[in-house]
Amino acid sequence: MTDPLVTVDGLEKYYYENDTLLDRLTGAEPEAVRAVDGVSFDVREGETLGVVGESGCGKSTLAETLMRLREPTGGSVTFDGDPVFELAGDDMDAFRRRAQVMFQDPFSSLDPRMTAGEIITEPLAIHGVGTGAERRERAETLLEEVGLSAEQIDRYPHEFSGGQRQRIGFARALAIDPEFIVLDEPVSALDVSVQAQVLNLLADMQAERDLTYLFIAHDLSVVRHISDRVAVMYLGEIVEIGPTEEIFENPQHPYTKALLESVPRADTDERDRTVETIRGDVPSPRNPPSGCSFRTRCPELIQPPWLDLPQAAFREIGEFRTRIENGDIDVDLRWEGVGDPDREDRAAFVDSLYEEAFDTGLPAEEEETVREAIRALADGDRETAAATLRERYRSPCEAIDPALPAGDHPSACLLNEQPEDVETAREEWEADHDAPKAGAASE
Amino acid sequence: MISPRTLRNLRSELSRSLLAKLGIAILAVILFTALFAPLLAPHDPTNQNLDNANIPPLGFTATENQTSSEMVDGEVQIVEEEVVVNTTTAHPLGTDSLGRDVLSRTMFGARTSLLVGLFGTSIAVVLGVTVGITAGYYGGRIDDALMRFADVMLAFPSLVLAIALIGLWGQASLRIPDPLVAFGIASSEMPETIVLPGTVIVVVALVNWVWFARVARGEALSVRDQEYVKAARSMGGSDLHVILRHVLPNSLTPILVLATIQIAAIILLESSLSFLGFSGAQLSWGFDIAQGRQYLSSSWWIATVPGLAIVAAVVGINLIGDWLRDALDPGIEGQGGAP
Repeated sequence: MTDPLVTVDGLEKYYYENDTLLDRLTGAEPEAVRAVDGVSFDVREGETLGVVGESGCGKSTLAETLMRLREPTGGSVTFDGDPVFELAGDDMDAFRRRAQVMFQDPFSSLDPRMTAGEIITEPLAIHGVGTGAERRERAETLLEEVGLSAEQIDRYPHEFSGGQRQRIGFARALAIDPEFIVLDEPVSALDVSVQAQVLNLLADMQAERDLTYLFIAHDLSVVRHISDRVAVMYLGEIVEIGPTEEIFENPQHPYTKALLESVPRADTDERDRTVETIRGDVPSPRNPPSGCSFRTRCPELIQPPWLDLPQAAFREIGEFRTRIENGDIDVDLRWEGVGDPDREDRAAFVDSLYEEAFDTGLPAEEEETVREAIRALADGDRETAAATLRERYRSPCEAIDPALPAGDHPSACLLNEQPEDVETAREEWEADHDAPKAGAASE
Repeated sequence: MISPRTLRNLRSELSRSLLAKLGIAILAVILFTALFAPLLAPHDPTNQNLDNANIPPLGFTATENQTSSEMVDGEVQIVEEEVVVNTTTAHPLGTDSLGRDVLSRTMFGARTSLLVGLFGTSIAVVLGVTVGITAGYYGGRIDDALMRFADVMLAFPSLVLAIALIGLWGQASLRIPDPLVAFGIASSEMPETIVLPGTVIVVVALVNWVWFARVARGEALSVRDQEYVKAARSMGGSDLHVILRHVLPNSLTPILVLATIQIAAIILLESSLSFLGFSGAQLSWGFDIAQGRQYLSSSWWIATVPGLAIVAAVVGINLIGDWLRDALDPGIEGQGGAP
């Protein structure tokens, strides 16, 4: 139970855009899309490891790269001691028999031109197992085992319902007696009632055949139902991994907390609960945030040692700073709004922008710093405005990339226990940055 | 490759569709005629008889404008005479300008047109599908190289390209002794050989394969991203297995439909080549249309009869294509957008 069957170490899959012939001729830099960005974990023999995350976080790419359906750009995967990315010939053949994938889409995962029997026996045919009659017999047995009838062996996929198709897909994955099955969102396309049946089937087969599962899903309740351990993915990285109950009862990473928080519960208290959903969108993996990738949406952003603001205020300042840095504030338009063509009434400009951007009252000191920055902006000096805010409201989260420490339930967040090198980096960062004087940074 | 299941589908679709039966009937008649032309044809299709030239089909009368000039009062006057030609049962579809029997010529012409259409299309399909699926499945530079080459081929006007290739290679044609005549089953007056216009077949295939390559590539591109292809690869299926078992069967339907259209196009291209005198064939529908074209105003049947034969062949083949498409595509309704 505790031996790792699959060990993933620093797995990376980058895609490169702007890499066509034309782009090379025009000299455009290839742009990396970091679909999977340094992922490490173990899957222990006989367990189910759930992988959850929002769509686009790289779960499926992780599965496909791990199965060597896509070539990785870095890292390694070890399957029962063998390096998967270096296998060739017979060893690769053996890996292809011992590890199988079940796919998400009940429609496109089965070849519409093959009968159920042909689909289920395909892995046997590929590996030359048994005679035609033996394979057919095996397909009939498997059909019964996954809850269909042997008479349906000559039907085509379109004659089955979504749940039945997923059962056929599962039977295909089982056909060659694998040890390890990657389940890539196997129930997410199904109705809730059918989901439960298929999940139970998966669990029964696992118990019966000693299977090891890597279970990928975006639905937390599904993962909780079937997993022994859970890994939470965000933007190509694993941010937290641990035993299922611990993850659900005692989440460590702010992202995990927010994910759990966003699940509606069947409870009468629920009516009054203000659901604190995660703000904003997932950042683009083309241009992930510096430091912690979750910091742009994090409700628990760490403040520098010299600050102790309410989280809402700190975030408001942070968002305002981002707007200035990105040049999202049109100074000319604002001046027009103030109604002063000579641009002399700076106080009016500052008031109007300040009131628009800040709902919560800031402490006097911070209000003065922010006004200072807006004054610089009023003069058209965006750089100084941004620098003023950056100096005082920098967060260690934007400078230091958290990592997963060793242990049973690690999380990649600076709020929690971090590996030594991350801790060192953070101490260095704090030593490097002294508290700037409030309200006078730009002078 | 053809499973009992497929046969069952073909049968049930056939019993449902009247048009499919019609298509099979038309093509059966044409094939039968082409196969047994020496037995069925009333005359030697190459036998000329100028006395019987331009006889209209049975039951039709034709007015032949004979123009003569006379001197009347010192001026040349043109006089047009209307000559009504009587019909004879010896030539049910009339004769052409050299007195050859149109029915016999059309029957024998079916051989050339069908040989070129079927062989030319087959070669084009094999070539185009191989190139297209390779390009679509592997993508990247292989795709770029193959498809740019295909685009260059496409840039040439097909007729000009065909003429150029024939000019390059000459009009090689194979004369196969007609077994019906050789074994004395048919009258010895009939032509002794079947002409297989080899160059023409190769040329029409080379001119038309690009269409198949483009369609096959597009299909392969969409099929290769299907999850069943990923599944097959994850089971350890080789590229060859994936292509033959999944990509090819799932790309075949539009290729089949295209093939039926292309048979027609190739038959027409062959006629164009015959018309221009490049094919070397003297006994084909296209050649006869070309011959009859200049008599269209007076002797419409010379071009019309082989023209109708082409129409019948094309319609018949297309109806069969529709039947195959419907029968070989199990469950279009349930495919969730996947072709």
